[in-house]
Amino acid sequence: MYVQVSDVKKSYGEGGSYIQVLKGVTVGIEKGSMCVIQGTSGSGKSTLLNCIGGLDIVDSGSIQVDGREMVGLKPDELSDYRRDYLGFIFQFYNLVPNLTVRENIQVCEYLTDNPLDIDELLDVLGLVEHQNKFPSQLSGGQQQRCAIARALIKNPKLLLCDEPTGALDSKTSRDILVLLEKVNAQYGTTMVIVTHNNAIKDMVDQVIILKDGLIKKDYKNEVKIPAAELEDL
Amino acid sequence: MQKVLRKRILRDLKKNAPRYIAIGFLIVLSMYLVVSMLGAAETIIRGSEAADEKACVEDGEFSLFVPMKKSEWNRLKDKGVTLEKMFYLDYTDKDEKVIRLFKNRENIDKITIKDGRLAENDTEAVIERRYAEVNHINVGDKVEIGGREFTVSGIGTVPDYDCTLKGIGDTGCDSKNFGLAFVTEDTYESMKAEGKNSKSEEYYYAYILNDSMTDEELKDELKNLEFSADDVDDEFFRDYWDRTIGAKDDLENGIHELLDGSKELKDGLKELTDNNAGMKLGARTVLESYISEANESLSSYGFETLTTDNFEDVLKNHIDNESNAIMKLTLQNLLSDLKELKTYADGVREYTDGVKTAEEGAGELYDGIDELKTETDDIIDEIFNADAGNLLSFVKAGDNPRIQAASGDQELYRSVGVIAGCIILVLISYVLSVFVVHSIDEEGAVIGALYALGVRKKDLMNHYIMLPTVVATISGIVGTLIGYSSLGVRVQMQDCYSYYSLPELDVMIMPYLIVYGVIVPPVICYIVTRLVINKRLSRPVLTLIRNEQKAGRSKNVKLKDMKFMKLFRLRQIIRESRTAFTVVFGMFVSMLIGIMAVEIYVYCAHVRSQYPEDTKYEYMYTYKYPTENVPKGGYEAYAKTMKKSIYGYSFDVTVMGITDDNPFFDVDLEDTAESVTISSSISYKFGLKVGDVLTLKDEENNRLYAFEIKAITQYSPSFMVFMPYDRALELFGEQDDFYNVVFSDHELDIEKGRLYSTTTKADVEKAAGIFSDQMRGMIVTLGGVSAVIFAIVLYLMMKVMIDRSSFSIALIKIFGYRNKELKRMYLDGNFYVVMLGAVISVPLSKLIMDLAYEPAFTPNVACGVDKSFPAWFYIGIFAIVVVLYFIINHLLVGRIKKMTPVEVLKNRE
Repeated sequence: MYVQVSDVKKSYGEGGSYIQVLKGVTVGIEKGSMCVIQGTSGSGKSTLLNCIGGLDIVDSGSIQVDGREMVGLKPDELSDYRRDYLGFIFQFYNLVPNLTVRENIQVCEYLTDNPLDIDELLDVLGLVEHQNKFPSQLSGGQQQRCAIARALIKNPKLLLCDEPTGALDSKTSRDILVLLEKVNAQYGTTMVIVTHNNAIKDMVDQVIILKDGLIKKDYKNEVKIPAAELEDL
Repeated sequence: MQKVLRKRILRDLKKNAPRYIAIGFLIVLSMYLVVSMLGAAETIIRGSEAADEKACVEDGEFSLFVPMKKSEWNRLKDKGVTLEKMFYLDYTDKDEKVIRLFKNRENIDKITIKDGRLAENDTEAVIERRYAEVNHINVGDKVEIGGREFTVSGIGTVPDYDCTLKGIGDTGCDSKNFGLAFVTEDTYESMKAEGKNSKSEEYYYAYILNDSMTDEELKDELKNLEFSADDVDDEFFRDYWDRTIGAKDDLENGIHELLDGSKELKDGLKELTDNNAGMKLGARTVLESYISEANESLSSYGFETLTTDNFEDVLKNHIDNESNAIMKLTLQNLLSDLKELKTYADGVREYTDGVKTAEEGAGELYDGIDELKTETDDIIDEIFNADAGNLLSFVKAGDNPRIQAASGDQELYRSVGVIAGCIILVLISYVLSVFVVHSIDEEGAVIGALYALGVRKKDLMNHYIMLPTVVATISGIVGTLIGYSSLGVRVQMQDCYSYYSLPELDVMIMPYLIVYGVIVPPVICYIVTRLVINKRLSRPVLTLIRNEQKAGRSKNVKLKDMKFMKLFRLRQIIRESRTAFTVVFGMFVSMLIGIMAVEIYVYCAHVRSQYPEDTKYEYMYTYKYPTENVPKGGYEAYAKTMKKSIYGYSFDVTVMGITDDNPFFDVDLEDTAESVTISSSISYKFGLKVGDVLTLKDEENNRLYAFEIKAITQYSPSFMVFMPYDRALELFGEQDDFYNVVFSDHELDIEKGRLYSTTTKADVEKAAGIFSDQMRGMIVTLGGVSAVIFAIVLYLMMKVMIDRSSFSIALIKIFGYRNKELKRMYLDGNFYVVMLGAVISVPLSKLIMDLAYEPAFTPNVACGVDKSFPAWFYIGIFAIVVVLYFIINHLLVGRIKKMTPVEVLKNRE
């Protein structure tokens, strides 16, 4: 397994406000696959994603990425881990407002010695004509594409997406998912997508459903539906 | 990556131009303020010190009744002291302007020529700079001194008249009516010979010790200079001498004469005693020779031998028995002669014994008178505790108000500059930290996202530090350059330069000011932003991404039922309580500088108003040679100058013995010297109150005096301690009717030669004004700059408040609230915060300034006045804050109005 999560527990608060979000999650994700984590609000899906991404620290358990244990890493080591392995896509893009599209992507280009070709990426993501625009001049879909480009430029081995289409309309959501599919195919990037959107589960290799901090279902799609053909997005 | 992020910097600068311009302007102004004030102070203090050193400024000066003898001069010279005559002649022209004429100086207090050159012949003179400026005298002009016309060969200054006081006790200089002139030695002598001077020549000497002895040792030497009062020309001196110290001579001379007389008597009697034996022997020899001769004649008649003891009995017996009448007569004659001779011999013996006794008595008389002389010498020395030597005055350079006077005033500039500099650093640091925190908070989600993508903290830290640091660097450089330009230091120096007679001083570039102006702002900026950013950027990534703020307990406070608008406003204030605290603290720090400016203004204004108000007399005459009787219409007093130290500086405190009927001081005198009334100036300066003990030092006699403070009376022009006149005389061992000060409400007919100084109410008024005038430049600069700084800080702080609320405002706008309602909900709350800030900042700043003022700003200033603000000042300050608030509010509301809700919401989660 490229990502192996074993008996991960995570809680927040203490006393009366104590809540255990992950109650012992064990799951594995294969290299180069696309995986969706689904669940109701409060099920722990974003927490699991954040733990895999090293943004949150688990209470117990183990998370191995590419065979490397990342639980217990120091902050600097976590930074290195994210720098070397990860790409992140957020629901609300979080672009640097006063950098152009190209410059936003370049911010992460410098984090690696072997970045992808920025022009090619701009082309793939359909941002060539917008590359000199500022985020405030872009639509939500364009901003999310920029965020994807920023995440992909350093050619991450693992792309973590937190509700990547959550703020987008149906058409734009489809475009983004097509892009992710294309990136997965073209670059072999392992992808973990947290989403509320039920339709997305049909386009990925693996589906993990969380409920109340535990794995309710973990299965692989025998047949994948291309993103372009997804309905009810 | 930095390369890419750097592209942001200019855009960031452009986007937040008002903020950065405000911060930059704040730093520029601050650096200008500190650099110009300190630069001016340092230039004058160090520049005049260097100029004085170059001109060989004296270590001190002294004046004599009669010029020093060559031998005395040489004796001091041999001991290593450098001396130079500073004799002068005063000339009064038809406009009552006084020119003090000196000969050119050679070794001490040399003339620094500003324009032209030294006088080289008998038609040339150098005129002192300030007098020349005020009277529009230039090189080449003609001036008349003592009826002679001189060509002005040069304009210059001398270090012993940095402050051109006519009399050393004068309160201020008047360059319009008093100046100095320097001519060649021959010209001086010929002018003196012409005798057109308005006062007799003064015999001043300047000295440089060359480490050969101390000032006190030199003073002791000078006290022993030979002196004959007969050589002194001054008629008032003669009069005083005859009544006082001269009487001592008479008494001493009388006792000397008595002693001499007794010695003569003793010696004469001794001489007589020495002749006693001869006299006694002669008388006895005559008697015995006569008896011997009688024995020879009578032996043939069978007479028994006559002796001195039996001749009377033998001869009487023979006479009685003698029948021969002739023989009987002869024997009777013989008996008579022998009896006379015996009586003579006995008389001679009695006389010599008497002479002997007298001689012994004369010896005892002489010893007694000698003892009397010794005792009376001691008593005379004690009674006439006055220096009857040649030394008339002795002033060390440090005690001379004419020397380094400008530097003394500039100490205040320096202190204010340093304090302002420190406050400003705190302010700048604070403002920067607030903005950095605000920026980071604004971009928390972006920063979190970049972290999530692997960007390291240090990369972002350098990025966020760069812009404020660059702004601080450029602003610091600009502020320093303006500070050192003709708009800065020169402007600050102008007031000083137009009062004191200083040579041309080159602006001194002080390394520490360059460091302060150019290096410190970016360094402070770097350190502060780094500390603040480090803390902010160390927050968990998710916290940053979610833009979570720490929720304080106060934010969950339950509020009672109240109208919605009021409740909302209150909630808003509570929610933004941290920002409100930020605003209040920012206001407080910037208010400190403002209150400092106001405090200095009030201090100067009180000096200007209270000095004349407290001076009830019109004339105060300080005597050098008082007359026997107090001039009619005057109120006599006895003044004794003592010292009191505070903050490392020693100040003159005058113990003033006044009579009960003195109408010029509001003092209830008690019949004691132990309980005194002090002037309010002492109370303010030394922090003393009723019931405290005031200790003063009589440095001349090295004696300490302690007084219990019974009352404090309003009197500000000088430090005074009041006690009854007779008690003062008694306390300081003066004669019953002695006085050295006379107060009057009108001009008295007193010969000027008798006086050290005359202080008029007009003089006091003028001196009070001078202090204010000297401080005007600083007050204006400080006041102006502090007002602008306060406005900038208020603007920046309010902008932070509004920026933080902008999202919420946009939301409310979406709900359909009108701008007027929005203003009430969000901005009116800011008004209360600003008012709260003013309510806290103004009194707190005032309290801090009150505590810091004397030790930090005026430790060397001999002045103590009330520093309380009148009520309308506080009202004025609040009014300014309110006006500033509304102006700034208007600017910021306009900005909010232009902001569309969509734009605000676009990038917010």
